[in-house]
Amino acid sequence: MNISVVSFGVVIMFLFIVLESVRRGILETKYSLLWILTCVVLAVLSISTSLLEMLANLLGIFYAPSLLFLFGLLFSLIIIFDLTRRISQLNHKIITLTQDFTLLKQELKEQEKIREGSKK
Amino acid sequence: MKEHKVLIIVPAFNEEESIGKTLHKLIHTSRNSPYGIDICVVNDGSSDRTVDVVQSFPEVILLDLPYNLGIGGAMQTGYRYAYENNYQIAIQFDADGQHNNEDLSTIIEPLYANEADMIVGSRFVLPTDYKGSSLRRFGIVYFMYLLYLLTKQKFTDPTSGFRAINNRIIKEFAHKYPKDYPEPEVLIYIHKKGYVIQEKSVQMQQRQGGSSSITPFKSMYYMLKVTLSILMQKVIKE
Repeated sequence: MNISVVSFGVVIMFLFIVLESVRRGILETKYSLLWILTCVVLAVLSISTSLLEMLANLLGIFYAPSLLFLFGLLFSLIIIFDLTRRISQLNHKIITLTQDFTLLKQELKEQEKIREGSKK
Repeated sequence: MKEHKVLIIVPAFNEEESIGKTLHKLIHTSRNSPYGIDICVVNDGSSDRTVDVVQSFPEVILLDLPYNLGIGGAMQTGYRYAYENNYQIAIQFDADGQHNNEDLSTIIEPLYANEADMIVGSRFVLPTDYKGSSLRRFGIVYFMYLLYLLTKQKFTDPTSGFRAINNRIIKEFAHKYPKDYPEPEVLIYIHKKGYVIQEKSVQMQQRQGGSSSITPFKSMYYMLKVTLSILMQKVIKE
């Protein structure tokens, strides 16, 4: 069993987990696209030795399977960066939401005060 | 609703020791002032009795954030309140008793006279009684030169939290406010937009309650982080 077969197996298993997560609603479809793309590219590269070797030749890499690691690593980096961007967006939204909530809470209190005042 | 023109925003994070005294003084000043001053405390998710203390002052507007947003998010809450309620001027005022009530008119008047859009209270325009550690002074001078390089304007006290803005900048801040290290970042942000910023000499006390958590290592790290965000602020797109 060589590294290509192992990585193909792992990638297919991972693809299955991604699809299953989407099906169960744990992972949102739009966020799954990048993962599915990663899996498909890595699966193709790991199963087709000739393609991998051709690419390795092109890039001047002696040990073709190490190209798999390079791709895996690059995709991880892209996904992490994508995540950081999403976190920033979420952070911005949550701050705005917190401020909205606080301002509304204050307004509600203010109106309660006015209502109590008019009762008296 | 009574007529209001000036809103003093006091950001407070665990300030139960000093905020009562600060509010007492501010209320006294606002009663004797010709400006029509309202006072607003933004409680930034304090875990102590800050809220209880503030609630014992019925005339103070309390904006109570459910958890800590940091100084940028907290101040922006106050600016959004000022914007929604049509205040003409908003003033940032520290809860820990560092800032001086008598200086309020110093930083309000140039805004009324339309001389500037933003006034920063500075300890170093004229010699004052302020004595900080040499490290703190070094940090301030360092930021002064960094900002001078980027704006060609001299800010002698770029980290000062005592500042006043007019309704045009209130609108800007309600929309967008630097969140990470707002004091120095704001200067470059507002300068970039073409607003006029002035410094006025004010007195500042040493902190009245609580203790500073700043160690030499932390402040070096702080300076590095702020430098980076100031430089980023320069290139950031609107």
